Amino acid sequence: MIQDVVWDISIALMGSLAAVFAGVAAGAEVPLTNYGPAIASAYRLRIWLFALAIVVLVGVNYRALGALPYIANPAEQSGLAMKRADATGQQWSWTVQPNSFVVGQTVEFYVTSKDVNHGFGLYDPHMHLVAQTQAMPGFTNVLRYTFAQPGTYQVLCLEYCGLGHHIMNTQINVAAR
Amino acid sequence: MTSIEAIGSRSRISATAAVRAYLVVCGIVLLLMMLLGLTMRLAQAQWIDVEPNLFYVIMTMHGAGMVGIAGLGGAAVMWHFVRRYIPVSTGIFIANLVFFLIGAVLILGAGFIGGFAGAWTFLYPLPDHSGGLWSANGAAAYMAGLLVIGVGFLLLHLDIARGIISVYGGLGSGLGVKQAFGFAPEKDGPPPAVAASTMAAISNIIGIVVGAVVLVLSLVNLYVPSFTFNTLVAKNLIYYFGHTFINVTIYMAVIAVYEILPVYTHRAWKTNRAFYLAWVLSTLMVLTVYPHHLLMDFAMPTWILVAGQIISWLSGLPVLLVTAFGTLTNVYRSGLKWDAAAGLVFIGVAGWAIGVIPAIADGTIPVNSVMHNTQWVPGHFHTYLLLGMMAMMLGFMTYLAGPKSPSRLAPLGVWLYLIGGTIFVLAFLAAGSASVPRRYAVHLPAWLPYDRAGSIGASLVVAGALILIVRFLVSLRSPIDATP
Repeated sequence: MIQDVVWDISIALMGSLAAVFAGVAAGAEVPLTNYGPAIASAYRLRIWLFALAIVVLVGVNYRALGALPYIANPAEQSGLAMKRADATGQQWSWTVQPNSFVVGQTVEFYVTSKDVNHGFGLYDPHMHLVAQTQAMPGFTNVLRYTFAQPGTYQVLCLEYCGLGHHIMNTQINVAAR
Repeated sequence: MTSIEAIGSRSRISATAAVRAYLVVCGIVLLLMMLLGLTMRLAQAQWIDVEPNLFYVIMTMHGAGMVGIAGLGGAAVMWHFVRRYIPVSTGIFIANLVFFLIGAVLILGAGFIGGFAGAWTFLYPLPDHSGGLWSANGAAAYMAGLLVIGVGFLLLHLDIARGIISVYGGLGSGLGVKQAFGFAPEKDGPPPAVAASTMAAISNIIGIVVGAVVLVLSLVNLYVPSFTFNTLVAKNLIYYFGHTFINVTIYMAVIAVYEILPVYTHRAWKTNRAFYLAWVLSTLMVLTVYPHHLLMDFAMPTWILVAGQIISWLSGLPVLLVTAFGTLTNVYRSGLKWDAAAGLVFIGVAGWAIGVIPAIADGTIPVNSVMHNTQWVPGHFHTYLLLGMMAMMLGFMTYLAGPKSPSRLAPLGVWLYLIGGTIFVLAFLAAGSASVPRRYAVHLPAWLPYDRAGSIGASLVVAGALILIVRFLVSLRSPIDATP
């Protein structure tokens, strides 16, 4: 799960940074008589940190930008064989047709809304968010997803849409091959 | 005596009283909004019963109120310090507070009388689609309240921009553009408070005008439903305004760090080329990074979303490598004696820097696909707003309270705030990584442990903030001249 990786890396980096702040705070009351050399080495360290940050920035962005969820050419335009499903949000329910698929099937959801902004959030049978796109009046966003496991998926609303936001969900059934 | 000092002398008492008035409003509203936030977490934890319609009203008020007082608190910090360097109008500063209070009354009336629950982001066309929960007048009162508050801030930033131009000759000079690119000696650059105030003025003047455009369009739509406009354009305008305004609150509040920490460490804040370059780049990035709110709007031009991701990553560099690094080097073995004020502004920088990490993660498109609008989002923004910006503002408040006010409880307040805040944001982040959606009045049983941990953390934060704010309010009994 991407979420687990992000959590682990974030907590490690956040914890490391917190430790640096805590360490500096803990030693702050003991004065350093010769501050000059210390500050000079700190600024040298910053140059290396800057270089490291640029390397990480370029590397992660290069990798991430190679896995964009945006569909330049939906299957219907490009001639690919994929299942199409129409998903429409309306305060406070979803209509998804068809809503039964099989494992391994790649589906393109044509997502829109009849009234306000909604968020089409696709949750797997273990209630992990696996994909999403916004549902907007006047626009159709195409979300492509390949079902990896059998069971009952849920579509939850992920954009606040009023009083019934939390009850706006529907089910998608995915059968084993 | 320079002309600036002369202006400062003439208005010193009333100006200090005005800053105190700002902080009184900030302290009281902050506590009330924290209680609303705690109410939401307790309701999600199923420890108290709150009807969904009331929950969403509370959510809207909490969001608008917190953003508002973040702006007000940041403005108090900025104005208090920047008037040491430029001439500013106390009248306009007070006018901003009056506009804020009028707007706050309209917004509270819209929520608790009119039932408006369209979230603080009033995402068009939701205000006109209440599902029977609120009236057009309720929604209009909310948006009129935002407009009135925006007018006050616009006046304040324009006045500060005028003051900067009168002393430095232009906003570019106030920002230190020449120093950033090596066209002028670093020693001739503006002080940090001026550079930060210039950035805030440039960003917020543009952001508030954009916000006013979409607010007026939405108001017309409320009463003339046949008048509609493009929902995606509206979303761009709203997030441009919203992102800029809330982001700038941190850049205003960080002036407290530049001005207060050196008093303790006896080390001047180092303003070198990297410092000015960071402020120039931060200005550009605050004005262009907002598309990271729209990464799941597939209808957006892809290049804008790609730029949003890259700028999100880049915008973390000045925070981490200049402000956080500068704070650490300023404090490192300086011999300072920690007290509540120094501790809070230091925590503020740490919270800001640490919060950048989960924020950048969320600004990465494949991550955003599975974490956008989960509780990861309130997790990261509470890290740099609650533990960052608000800690700086509370540090400023504590600093102004001075050493004469009762301070035995202040360290307890700081620790409660820090420990509670850490539990609170970690509960949000953990829930987000477990795919718990944000802005849900009712939670599934599997999500309750996160909500309950968050409720405990929030309770501690409220207790800590209560101590610090009461200490400040008690300090107001002392004469104005006793304050720093």
